[in-house]
Amino acid sequence: MSESFNSREEVLERLKVVLSDLFEIKPEKIVPEAHLYDDLDIDSIDAVDLFLTLKEITGRKIQPQAFKDVRTVNDVIDAIQTLTSKPAS
Amino acid sequence: MSSEDRKLNYVWRIAATGFVFVLFGVGALVISVTMFPALRLTTWNPDTARRRIQRGMQFVFHAFMETMRVFGILTYRVEGAERLREPGRLIVANHPTLIDVVLLVSQMPEVDCIVKQGLWRNPFLRWPVSWAGYLQNAAGEELVEQCSATLQRGHSLLVFPEGTRSVPGEPLRMQRGAAHIALAANAPILPVRITCDPPTLFKGNPWYRVPSRRFHLNMVVGEPILPRTFMRDGEAPARTARRLTQWMHSQLDPGGIPRPEPTEASESSWLAPGQQPVIR
Repeated sequence: MSESFNSREEVLERLKVVLSDLFEIKPEKIVPEAHLYDDLDIDSIDAVDLFLTLKEITGRKIQPQAFKDVRTVNDVIDAIQTLTSKPAS
Repeated sequence: MSSEDRKLNYVWRIAATGFVFVLFGVGALVISVTMFPALRLTTWNPDTARRRIQRGMQFVFHAFMETMRVFGILTYRVEGAERLREPGRLIVANHPTLIDVVLLVSQMPEVDCIVKQGLWRNPFLRWPVSWAGYLQNAAGEELVEQCSATLQRGHSLLVFPEGTRSVPGEPLRMQRGAAHIALAANAPILPVRITCDPPTLFKGNPWYRVPSRRFHLNMVVGEPILPRTFMRDGEAPARTARRLTQWMHSQLDPGGIPRPEPTEASESSWLAPGQQPVIR
């Protein structure tokens, strides 16, 4: 199962669903500028769950370092876009 | 007490507090090179040694609590201590003071603790903490796994879910690691609520700023609960951990820890011993 995204908006919409399902975060709080830890209360253990879910959604092999510097929702969108822009291996 | 006596008592408590701080530091070094190595040498079996060392920790910490009590620095009371002695439990406590761990361990002949990395590099203390089987404060996932493993071996484990001392006057800021540990191990959770009146030895309060009167540490051990109670079919563990953490918060938060003495704290404050809301 892998999904493809045409725009950042699509990625954001998908993220809203994922984050509210996984962590019960209100979708309106999920904006590009939101800080994962400070604003959305996603801790390092949650980050592992999020990472695994994104792996499933994109169907790509994600290297953990791709998410090492991720701090905000925007960073997550960037990381997903970088991943899905490469041809699937 | 006349004001003269009060002043004398205050000065005495500063001196006594300074003395016990030195005693604790020097004592830790001395027993690290005498009592603990001796205990370690009483057996070939590392697991037997672990239990003897932990028993030694209890003895030392109990002696330390009694020293402070006899010196008139504090009084303390523990309710439900027998529940701390059951094996395989995840003991979660709030963390108002520097000596919470001393009081808790003084009540438990066997308990695993999480020890900060600095102590593992200390040339004296690293050996006793490793013989005691204490856990190293590692990064999130790894620590959750290690904690869950020790619980599944039937050891009890002490965790302060806030990860650091509470900030007086503010609601507890709980992290969710403790909930993840409980869910991973499915070990019974035992909530412990500690109050310190008047507040002292909290984060950022230097030792010599002793309270206006001898302080009282009150510890109430609640009833154990199984994390299974919080699980729902098909729910992501991250959500269960959030609910479980809220529950822990409700059990550990003494209704906003009292602020550092605004004025002369009165005996009739809600914190007075015996007036504690009892956890059931």
